[in-house]
Amino acid sequence: MADTLTEGEVSIEQLFDRPWVCIVWDDPVNLMSYVTFVLMKIFGFTQEIAHEKMMQVHVEGRAVVATGSREEMEHHVQALHEHGLWATLQRDDKI
Amino acid sequence: MSQFSRDGVEYSLALSLDEAHVLINLVEQLLELLGEGDFQHHYDMNDPFAQLMAMQQEVAAPEDPVLKRLLPNAYADPEAADDFRRYTELALRRNKQDGLRSIRAALTVLVDNESAGIIEELDAHLWLKAINDLRLALSVRLEINADSFQVFENMPDEDPQKGIYAVYFWLGWLQESLLELLTQ
Repeated sequence: MADTLTEGEVSIEQLFDRPWVCIVWDDPVNLMSYVTFVLMKIFGFTQEIAHEKMMQVHVEGRAVVATGSREEMEHHVQALHEHGLWATLQRDDKI
Repeated sequence: MSQFSRDGVEYSLALSLDEAHVLINLVEQLLELLGEGDFQHHYDMNDPFAQLMAMQQEVAAPEDPVLKRLLPNAYADPEAADDFRRYTELALRRNKQDGLRSIRAALTVLVDNESAGIIEELDAHLWLKAINDLRLALSVRLEINADSFQVFENMPDEDPQKGIYAVYFWLGWLQESLLELLTQ
């Protein structure tokens, strides 16, 4: 079968199906309580999930806060920028 | 004496005249930096023609580091970032200007009366965002990092920057106090 992939290879379909991700980056200014509040407000996270994501941003320097279509992620990034969070979108690194 | 209060869904802020002056100065400086962009007397920004005209402009990432922080790139790739900016920056700028203008209007009442006072029935979400924008702007100028509070505490009183640091940390405290009320 010519179109069988060996382990580690990626099909064209998988490449195009890769979703987009919205990333929040750490900064020394936004209060931890504010970041948690904004994540709850924009994404409807529970306090617990929002706190977890905020801590990931704080400790690891970044966290993926949403995954989906490019259009949706652009919308989220815009909302995060309105609230002063440092956010970007990109194709998901993970396949 | 600055203090936010909450009574059910009503929020208010008590400020001294000095505090109102400090806040309104910061708000006006940031509005100036963002460009007032107040063309409402001339045309309606929701008008499709106005939107089309605004979209034709090539919008590059701002040079000023404060604007770069307030209107950041949405993509690491510069081309994608510029493209996104071309369609969205105006709305983001206007969102921030609207917030700042709204709190300026409330502060103007206190400043014009030349007295301390209470700003009643304020939009807590709008104030929270505007205070955050002021903190972000100050943080860029002060090059705030994780050690800045210690730097501030060890700063001699005669250091001209000490007052600006004090305002920055006061705004953080003010924002935190509003957040506590919002999440009660």
